Amino acid sequence: MQTSITKLLGIEYPVIQGGMAWVAECHLAAAVSEAGGLGLIGAASAPGDWVREQIREVKKHTNKPFGVNIMLMSPYADEVAQILVEEEVPVVTTGAGNPEKYIAVWKEAGIKIIPVIASVALAKRMERCGADAVVAEGCEAGGHIGENTTMCLVPQVADAVNIPVIAAGGIADGRGMAAAFMLGAQGMQLGTLFVVAKESIVHENYKKSILKAKDIDTKVTGRSTGHPVRAIRNQMTKEYLKKEQEGVSFEELELLTLGGLRKAVVEGDVKTGSVMSGQIAGLVKEELTCREIIQKLTSETDALIKGAGFYE
Amino acid sequence: MLEKVKEIVADSLGVEVDTITAESSFQKDLGADSLDLMDMVMALEDEYGVEIPTDDLGELVTVGDVVKYIDKIEK
Repeated sequence: MQTSITKLLGIEYPVIQGGMAWVAECHLAAAVSEAGGLGLIGAASAPGDWVREQIREVKKHTNKPFGVNIMLMSPYADEVAQILVEEEVPVVTTGAGNPEKYIAVWKEAGIKIIPVIASVALAKRMERCGADAVVAEGCEAGGHIGENTTMCLVPQVADAVNIPVIAAGGIADGRGMAAAFMLGAQGMQLGTLFVVAKESIVHENYKKSILKAKDIDTKVTGRSTGHPVRAIRNQMTKEYLKKEQEGVSFEELELLTLGGLRKAVVEGDVKTGSVMSGQIAGLVKEELTCREIIQKLTSETDALIKGAGFYE
Repeated sequence: MLEKVKEIVADSLGVEVDTITAESSFQKDLGADSLDLMDMVMALEDEYGVEIPTDDLGELVTVGDVVKYIDKIEK
């Protein structure tokens, strides 16, 4: 399934696994890349040494292209940005800010740069700065989100820039992927579906929370503080939303989620931890290998697009 | 220039022009988030044919700051 994204990245299928903090580590990333997609390591707020080790581990398990998602608000962002160059990482995606200051160095190192954006203005700015593609992520996604939905954001970004657009947020099967193509995307980034992959190291409780989630089971906390985060509803989101409504200070709200993702992913505390997940969790019903996920996604998409008989 | 900048700010942030003064803070008074600010910066760049590097965005707290900033780089 060749598109401008597969050509740009040298991969077989235009399927990218999101660079989720704590979840996107070397085993998952290597499995996705090995299956023909693009696996990402989520650098999140991890120190440089950890990221370097993860990169080397991925390389032990696959010779295929992979990437690192750098979280720009991380205290280690400068260090990680440099490590990507030293370790010759083929692709970088960026989140939580504007990567402008690193672009020249990465370009020189031949790294493909794909910022994750949530608005047309930022997409245009990233194109001007030399980005190779953008991930347009709608607020259906899990974790930190923007305001616009995938349905509305993707076509507007596709119209605004001349670089390829990767759709993210709300995709978990061939229908979503085919729809993203229709909206003007040439690649798709998926998070939630890969959280429950067999190769994913997240705690069994975390996987179960996603697998049993229904359509209405995610909540967005922190809208009022300007830091909206989507997670599966539990005791923590309930308490957070209640306190948020009472107008509790940002600092006190932060205490509720501090270390919450680690607690859920590593310790399996899905009651008071932060079980970040996209709205599409309701559609995710089985634990498959990354290869099975990608094969299923792409064959479903293929059948839909080739067969497309929508009118009666 | 203040009047033109006010118009662009009003348009980008979805606020009424007459509620904006040179002292208005984008975040505190006009309720802008980071997406709004980026939209505004791109609109200002288009209008004045300048490039505002991300590193400089931190100094642009109020509408007056923007006027001074553009005045400076235009010279």
